[in-house]
Amino acid sequence: MEGRTLAKRPWRGRAERAVAQEQVLLFRVGDCLCGVGLRGLWEVLSPDGVTELLTPSYQICTALAYRGRKLPLVRMSELFGVSAERVPPTARVLLIQGQERPLGLLVDEVLGVADVNPQRVAPMPAQASLLSPTLFRGLFSRESQVFILVSEDGLGGMEEVARFAES
Amino acid sequence: MATQETRNTEAGNQGGATQVVLFQLAGKSFAVELGQVEQIIDYRAPAKTPRRPVCVEGVAEYRGRYLAIVDLRKRFGVTEEKPAHPAVLVLRGVGPDPVVGLVVDQVLRVLPLPPDGVLRPPPRVFGIRAEYIRGVANAAGRPLVWLDLAKVLTSQDAITLLA
Repeated sequence: MEGRTLAKRPWRGRAERAVAQEQVLLFRVGDCLCGVGLRGLWEVLSPDGVTELLTPSYQICTALAYRGRKLPLVRMSELFGVSAERVPPTARVLLIQGQERPLGLLVDEVLGVADVNPQRVAPMPAQASLLSPTLFRGLFSRESQVFILVSEDGLGGMEEVARFAES
Repeated sequence: MATQETRNTEAGNQGGATQVVLFQLAGKSFAVELGQVEQIIDYRAPAKTPRRPVCVEGVAEYRGRYLAIVDLRKRFGVTEEKPAHPAVLVLRGVGPDPVVGLVVDQVLRVLPLPPDGVLRPPPRVFGIRAEYIRGVANAAGRPLVWLDLAKVLTSQDAITLLA
């Protein structure tokens, strides 16, 4: 039994390597564990001195002052309905591209980077969230924890973000 | 998979009797058709999902797929906390997703319900409207409510289980 298990390992390793892995930045929003593809990620910023949170805190989309430009910033905790009273000190802004325009995501904490097999990303059950399924690419597991892979294009295509771009 | 489905269908209707899985929730007995139950698994705290419905606890991985985990206590408006070790019925064909996990207090057993042993429900049983009930039976002298879980899980209306 022991020998059989050991003999299988190299083959499984080769099979895993044959599949192109996608690098994903892991982050947390409230009690939700999430990820976003590194390919669409431009920069990770500290919210201090970068964001101008002039809009009411309950508004999902606000303005991000970035190198002389105003970009839309999605408060992920507000979108997810898990917003705390204050932005936590671990909060970060993930600067991504969605719908071919730059977009900031205000998240509670960045957890790290992981390799994800795209073939193991499964769809989010319809009953699991009241949010539009276009906001999610799916779910994946890592170290017994389930992560939600957000869709850059889905977030960039949100009505609130489109309205910001128009204004 | 096809074999398993066939077996379940046969098991679900033997000699005219419908095989049901009997379970408990908040001290009351309920049943679901055996053919809809793919497996019974131990409860583990699911991963949280954003903006989930009140009765949905999150998602859990199951055989490479992901299940929405629905707490039947919360669906029935029971505010009392669930027991320390509840069970999860993995159900198929009862909602918008291929499979769903339903948290119940305890799974008791499988029992046959003969057609003449199942009565049409009165307008309400334990506060639950008849439209969510397939029938009412007698299980060892106690009322047993055979639920229409497809309706329970797809309806947006509140359902209140009375104490």
